Amino acid sequence: MTESLLEVDELRVGFAVGGRELRAVDSISFSVNPGATLAIIGESGSGKTVSCRAIMGLLPAGTAITGSARLRGSELIGLSDSEMRKHRGSDMAMVFQDPARSLNPTMKIGIQITEAITTHRKVSKREAQTQAVELLRLVRIPAAERRFHEYPHQLSGGMRQRVMIAMALACRPKLLIADEATTALDVTTQAQIMELLLELQQELDMALILISHDLGLAASYADEVIVMYAGKIVEQAPAAALFGRDGSVRMRYTRALLDAIPHMERPAHSALPVVGGRPPDMTALPVGCSFAPRCGSAADDCVAKSPALIEHAPGHRWACWHPCENGVHS
Amino acid sequence: MAAPLHDVAYVAAGGPQPLPSLVSTRKLRSQRLGRTLRLWIPAGFLILLLAMCFLWPLVYQLPSPTNGNIIQAQEAPFSPGHLLGTDQVGVDIFSQIVYGGRVAFEISVAVTLIGMAIGSLIGITAGFFGGWVDAVLSRVLDILIAFPALVLALAIAEGLGPSEFHVILALSAFSIPVFGRVTRGATLVVRELPFMVAARLAGTRRWRVIVRHVLPNIMPGVLSFSLLGLGIVIIIEGALDFLGYGIPPPSASWGSMIANGQQIMTARPEYVLIPSIFLLITVVALNMLGDALRERWGVQ
Amino acid sequence: MALVQQIQLQGGAGARGSARRLAGSPALRLVGRRLLAAIPVLLGVTFLTFAVFNTLPNDTAQAILGLSASPGAVAALNHQLGLDQPFFVQYWHWLSGVLHGNLGTSVQGESVNHELATHLPVTLELLAYALVVSLLLAIIVAVLAARKPNGIVDRTQLAISMLGLSAAPYALAFVLIVIFAVKLQWFPVISGSVGDTPLSFLKAMTLPACAIGFPLFAIYTRLLRGDLVEQMQREDYIVTAKAKGVPPWRVLIRHALRNSMFTLITVVGLNLGTLVGAVAIIETVFTVPGIGQDLLTGISNRDVPLIEGIVLVFALMTVLGNLLADLMYAVLDPRIRYGSSTT
Repeated sequence: MTESLLEVDELRVGFAVGGRELRAVDSISFSVNPGATLAIIGESGSGKTVSCRAIMGLLPAGTAITGSARLRGSELIGLSDSEMRKHRGSDMAMVFQDPARSLNPTMKIGIQITEAITTHRKVSKREAQTQAVELLRLVRIPAAERRFHEYPHQLSGGMRQRVMIAMALACRPKLLIADEATTALDVTTQAQIMELLLELQQELDMALILISHDLGLAASYADEVIVMYAGKIVEQAPAAALFGRDGSVRMRYTRALLDAIPHMERPAHSALPVVGGRPPDMTALPVGCSFAPRCGSAADDCVAKSPALIEHAPGHRWACWHPCENGVHS
Repeated sequence: MAAPLHDVAYVAAGGPQPLPSLVSTRKLRSQRLGRTLRLWIPAGFLILLLAMCFLWPLVYQLPSPTNGNIIQAQEAPFSPGHLLGTDQVGVDIFSQIVYGGRVAFEISVAVTLIGMAIGSLIGITAGFFGGWVDAVLSRVLDILIAFPALVLALAIAEGLGPSEFHVILALSAFSIPVFGRVTRGATLVVRELPFMVAARLAGTRRWRVIVRHVLPNIMPGVLSFSLLGLGIVIIIEGALDFLGYGIPPPSASWGSMIANGQQIMTARPEYVLIPSIFLLITVVALNMLGDALRERWGVQ
Repeated sequence: MALVQQIQLQGGAGARGSARRLAGSPALRLVGRRLLAAIPVLLGVTFLTFAVFNTLPNDTAQAILGLSASPGAVAALNHQLGLDQPFFVQYWHWLSGVLHGNLGTSVQGESVNHELATHLPVTLELLAYALVVSLLLAIIVAVLAARKPNGIVDRTQLAISMLGLSAAPYALAFVLIVIFAVKLQWFPVISGSVGDTPLSFLKAMTLPACAIGFPLFAIYTRLLRGDLVEQMQREDYIVTAKAKGVPPWRVLIRHALRNSMFTLITVVGLNLGTLVGAVAIIETVFTVPGIGQDLLTGISNRDVPLIEGIVLVFALMTVLGNLLADLMYAVLDPRIRYGSSTT
């Protein structure tokens, strides 16, 4: 049995908001194998971004984090910032959503990449520059030598995202977290960037965590899928178990997400089944299942008691009192 | 103290455990207390100062702030009848402070009110109507601001003779364009807010839009700025008095106290220091109050 | 900044290559336009000065000759100085003189050009000293304060800045004199001449520069600290830098400070014009032989040509200061310098 690259166990993250506690992440556990792809799917506020930032140590001071996250056996939670910095950018790296805002507008992109290199390795300026240009080529940016000296605003959105990826890969991390990396891009560019990520994953034997709200993305690219809602994992399974011909989605929320994806085969002029209601108020979560207020099949026991995440089928966990019955997605 | 950043607490199997307390109610209460103090301490001090300058002489008879008995020159503080002592010509220092404070407040309030009234008129007109109106008015404001206030004030005092009225006139010429610029900027920002565009599209008459929408929205910013402005005017007015172009002697004023104290500075530094300190803490209180109000009203 | 938006709206430069880009760039063109727009301001200010001094009841000749002079002598002097002509004419004379580089003659008989040539450098040195030191200190203190918001350094800085903002330059000057010149005897009470050596310069100029610089330091520190903290808390590229593993000091200085410098330089430029009053008073208190002191003596003598000359200089400083602020954006902000190129 391969030793997992990243093991997260009972991770909890809480913030103080106006005197009350906001439990952004409530006891989630998962693991990622080397070279595998995990997709974490959820709406805004589901806790998907916060959990990964907690692992990277990027949350602001004053956040309470408990639990464990082990990267190749070393515990990350509880490290001091200077110890954490040894991992950030070298073993594990992150790519963010909006490349326009995530790059420093007054610094040449080449310098931003060399910074990623020189922070962790002792190399000369010349050597770092060579490596940076190599990285630009790696992410398929044409005329890499020239681009080195340019500023972010001189590049298109897709190019900027490639630069972000190049920065993240500077030290050949074993784990790359892509936080909504394609959300801010147009559809064509999205596909290009995803293809690039997968190719790089192969080339560098890297594990990939894809954070997204797009279930379709998970279906196309992920090995394993986690669906989060209101800070908890509500469904967790290999992608094959959820999608495809033999797949079955169990938790009502996942089902609703899937149904909300528009397909070409839908009858014309039919109403799109959207998930009604609004995302939950994280400072005042209901006692029972968090999704119950918005679930079409909510029953009394759903409102009364919160379902636990239990492995009902091999490799497939869900948290629902009344899961869907062997539904194959259309 | 906020909770430690990373708290390693292995959660044993069996039931969720509460996270360590994140923000104690004590800390929140102290934050709120701090904010209240920052508002009321300067406000309270200003009220006390105003009371001292305007009400005290009505209750207790103070020695004259202008005429002194040379025999009683250079008395020490706390000597009988002279709370802060007397200066080198025998004039009581405390009453100079009191009456000088009166003058400082009267002039600065008058100048600031004039500046607010007329300056806002100009600024809102320029910012709201835009176009050539704005271009012309902005140019005028630019010129007036580039014009050294001091020169104007001194020229007026020189030409027309020093008096309280002339000082107010001169300083208003400085205060009006400053308020004009500030209100123009604020109006420009407010003008583009969605509800403003909606009001205009709905055909609301323009003056109505100004009165009911623009004014209430720029008022907090303008008011907190005017407190700052009060402080600046007090300082400039003091400068005029110091140079001899402000309130004509023998009237008491903080600036002229500093000028008089200059001569005897090495021997008796307190003659310069006392009015300087009053000047300083008055302006500090005004600035702190302005900051606290800005914090409370959420202005940038 | 209006200039920044205008340039961005106009789109990027066409040609490649930085040299050609700069020459044909919208930045320079707009700067040129700004310079042209500044001329009416300069004209307006100088005209206004003339107007003020000529409409107010005053009599220069009388002031020079004294109260006991005969009306005949006063009239003669007035005629000699050209003061009995309508002021439009006087202004026109002055203006044409300026365009030829001649700022006229003061009523004391000296050439205004000469007066300025001897005294302006002193004022400029004083201002430079005050500005440079207050800027450097402000940057250091703001960075230290922003490193730990609401920490010890930050709260101390807050209190000191509040004092600096509220201090009247003349009051501050005397406090400094009492402490440093009288009690500690580190500096002379009266500056007099500046001297030739750097040491004598420092001795003469340090206290006056502090009197001018302390309020400036307060403004700059407050502004910079606010901007830095705002960036560190809100900007995405800061998170990216942290995610790369960059140590916090480097993030603050290399990323946040870099971007904050724009705002700071802008404020420095805009502030330049407001220093007139402070300079005049401080120079008088410390008897520094600069144009500020000249201004005050000029006003008491109703020496219109001298006043005009000095007002022109100060107005120029204001205009140039504003221009500098805009120029900083145009030249330093890479978004404007390089426009946007298509890929």
